[in-house]
Amino acid sequence: MTDATYDLLIVGGGPAGLAAAAEAVSAGLAVCLVDERPTFGGQIFKQPGPGFRVTDPAAVGREYVRGRELIDAAERAGALLLPRTSALAIRGTTVVLVEDGANARTVEARQVLIAPGAHDRPVVFPGWTLPGVLTAGGAQTLVKTQRVLPGERIVFAGSGPLALAFPAQLRGYGANVELVLEAGPAPGVRDVLRLLAAARGNTSLLRDAVGYRARLLRDRVPLRYRRIVVRAEGEGRVEEVVHASVDTAWRPIPGTEERVAADTLCVGYGFFPSVELLRLAGCDFVYDEDLGGPVVVRDEWLRTTVPNVSAAGDGTGVAGSYVAIDEGRLAALGAALDLEALTADAAVARAAPLRRRLARKEAFRRALRRMYAVGPGIYELATPETVVCRCEEITAGTLDAASEGTDDVNVVKSLTRAGMGLCQGRNCQRQIAATLALRHGGSLGSLPVATARPPVRPVPIGAVADASLEDGGFFTVES
Amino acid sequence: MRAEPAPAWPFARELRAPLPESTDVLIIGGGLAGTALAYYLARAGVECVLVERAELNREASGTNAGSFHFQIALHQLTALETGNVRERLQTEVRLHAEAAEVWKTLERELAGSLEIHITGGLMVAETPDEFRLLHEKRELEEEAGLETHVLEGEELRAFAPYLADDLLGATWCPDEGHANPMLAAPLFAARAAEAGAELRTHAEVTRVEVDPDGGARRFAVTTAAVRVHAHRVVNATGAWANEVCGLVGLRLPIRAEGLHLNVTEPRERVLEPMVQHIGRRLTLKQATNGTFIIGGGWPANPEPAPARFSTTWESTAGNVAVAVRVLPLLADVKIVRTWSGVMAFTADLAPLVGESARLPGFHTLIATTGFTLSPLLAQLLAEELATGRGTIPPQYSIDRDPAGQPTTT
Repeated sequence: MTDATYDLLIVGGGPAGLAAAAEAVSAGLAVCLVDERPTFGGQIFKQPGPGFRVTDPAAVGREYVRGRELIDAAERAGALLLPRTSALAIRGTTVVLVEDGANARTVEARQVLIAPGAHDRPVVFPGWTLPGVLTAGGAQTLVKTQRVLPGERIVFAGSGPLALAFPAQLRGYGANVELVLEAGPAPGVRDVLRLLAAARGNTSLLRDAVGYRARLLRDRVPLRYRRIVVRAEGEGRVEEVVHASVDTAWRPIPGTEERVAADTLCVGYGFFPSVELLRLAGCDFVYDEDLGGPVVVRDEWLRTTVPNVSAAGDGTGVAGSYVAIDEGRLAALGAALDLEALTADAAVARAAPLRRRLARKEAFRRALRRMYAVGPGIYELATPETVVCRCEEITAGTLDAASEGTDDVNVVKSLTRAGMGLCQGRNCQRQIAATLALRHGGSLGSLPVATARPPVRPVPIGAVADASLEDGGFFTVES
Repeated sequence: MRAEPAPAWPFARELRAPLPESTDVLIIGGGLAGTALAYYLARAGVECVLVERAELNREASGTNAGSFHFQIALHQLTALETGNVRERLQTEVRLHAEAAEVWKTLERELAGSLEIHITGGLMVAETPDEFRLLHEKRELEEEAGLETHVLEGEELRAFAPYLADDLLGATWCPDEGHANPMLAAPLFAARAAEAGAELRTHAEVTRVEVDPDGGARRFAVTTAAVRVHAHRVVNATGAWANEVCGLVGLRLPIRAEGLHLNVTEPRERVLEPMVQHIGRRLTLKQATNGTFIIGGGWPANPEPAPARFSTTWESTAGNVAVAVRVLPLLADVKIVRTWSGVMAFTADLAPLVGESARLPGFHTLIATTGFTLSPLLAQLLAEELATGRGTIPPQYSIDRDPAGQPTTT
């Protein structure tokens, strides 16, 4: 049963998806874009939630404005934008969609662009499940969609560009940020030179970074390098954050622990690409820990290894909104080329400036990566009592016992139920894989991952039940 | 926080140890059938080695829905019309009744939790034809010694108020229930190892040589690049049995099919019994942790190598439609995952258990309703291997012809 057909179906309404929608329509394609959230913009350009009316865009922030522009452009172009709509399953270019509160439906597209974005890297340490501990993304969502500060005494622990950007943004909203812990080193002269060398064409990125740092300095927010959170403590909610100096592998150095009182701990050690739909589609992956783990294989038009399915943005390896926007446009041009809406010459010509910018950003990102590579120590903070799978409440000790005779995450999952809960393994799977790798001497990328299965998001049975379908009938007895 | 069982698998350390050079019984396949056989053999003092090509309990044994199916199922009933199967059905029901006894005592026997719940089972009927079939079925079951009752109208609604109120009736079998398939084979394996069985994973059998005059060294089995000599061999590889049989020139009437399963988020406990449908593909239950497990035999898609089955949206949407038709409260419960299990189908849907007359010493242990029957069939085969006397029904002969009739009749 097919309800609709589009030239291009875009899954994900963040920077990549929105930019792709406008570009694809301008190339002559009939485009539908879906996003599971009530508003578009993705995580970075997240818009205020339904019920909010913006009277002074500049006061809301630059990210709001950049997002608004992308949404307006996609709308003006004439793309069909469907909020509150999730993709549950994909086979070929047939996609099962469900809008909140409605019944699931199947749509056909000639091309599918998957632009799912990324989610926070969950970091497991004693106390990580205490109320008051939240991911940077969760805190951002509170601030951006509901205009609510997450707490009154905030400690931020993280690494990478976000460790500067997010506390600075929180300050901008008037939050009281007590302390910022950056796991990486303070940028040295060589790092700065490398960044500057790569900075041609990336001045906006550099300007952002300098602005964030200046904000923290101006507001006298202490920023301490080479320190990570080792545990959170408190009765019923976080009251104190314990942090320590780390070596280059991010392993805590004994004797360097300190405590700070806090009611909120925001954790932001980077992102994982949200690859669930890409994996379900059957795309090939390579593994790159610095890009967030599994990275989908793509060609020069961002086509995946599955025919007529392409991918763009942070869901293909975390690189930020500027890269995502250009990737979205490039993927849209690729789709238009494959659908013969553009000639090869036209597509190549329109792609040329995008490719130039993307190449420069790649150099910049490589320089950043060197500074912010994630250390394996981040996976070793749990004690045996620490809950790793919070849906099923499975501790590190239980997982350790179950991994005695196997390095297969599917076996550990089966023995313990870890990863079988409502989050579908998003929170614990990598930690379990890391436990196995550390124990059995493998590398994170070499371990088998849990099998991809629909639905990509939990969904009410009433919304997916289809009584018109017949069973396979292979229980018949041959006579 | 709920109390959490901490599975300790001390035997796991030995799973990749070097293989012994020889043994009495070599079991191929580390699913429920193989591990249960290893346990019963070791406990009877029979020397045995189990080899598994990948990991224990990863295929049908660990991926099925964990239901105990004792009532006669739809596919068996439809065969009623086709001929002289009444007797065979009764034999099967008798076996089911025996299997019920095994499961009732298994946690005590193995001294560990398998999350067994003998909750009873309901098989519901929607149409007048289905309702008539319920009565026929109950008679057959009574004759064979399996207790079932037909409930209808107010009686059914009082007994199972959560069911859709327009269902015509249901049979109730107090012996049915479910266990956790992710625990059963691992616990059998742990107890087998404690009793002296040797278990090895990542040991794929690539060659079987037969020396008819070899006596206690009749079989030479090459696995994980090592030759193990065995007096007897048991093929317990389920849906892949013909890969092993092919190594000795045998072929079984068996094929592999992928079955689809769904699981929901956990909810407060409302559904005690397991629920089936007499006319449509459904098994439905609420597991110990509150999740609803929905299955019943909807197909999964075979994928090219590595041999796997992927779940399809059609089976998801179709299977949960039957479930919510029977249990309306499911409508707002979220489905969290689907998965597939592989099932060994024989042409007549009956197990293949025992020694081959064509190749003495070579046995199979394949239960087509595998989770329900494997512990019992493993017990029966262990008895035969240990004592030379057995009570395995002749229609399970592994030499019967592919059309499914015993070759002796």
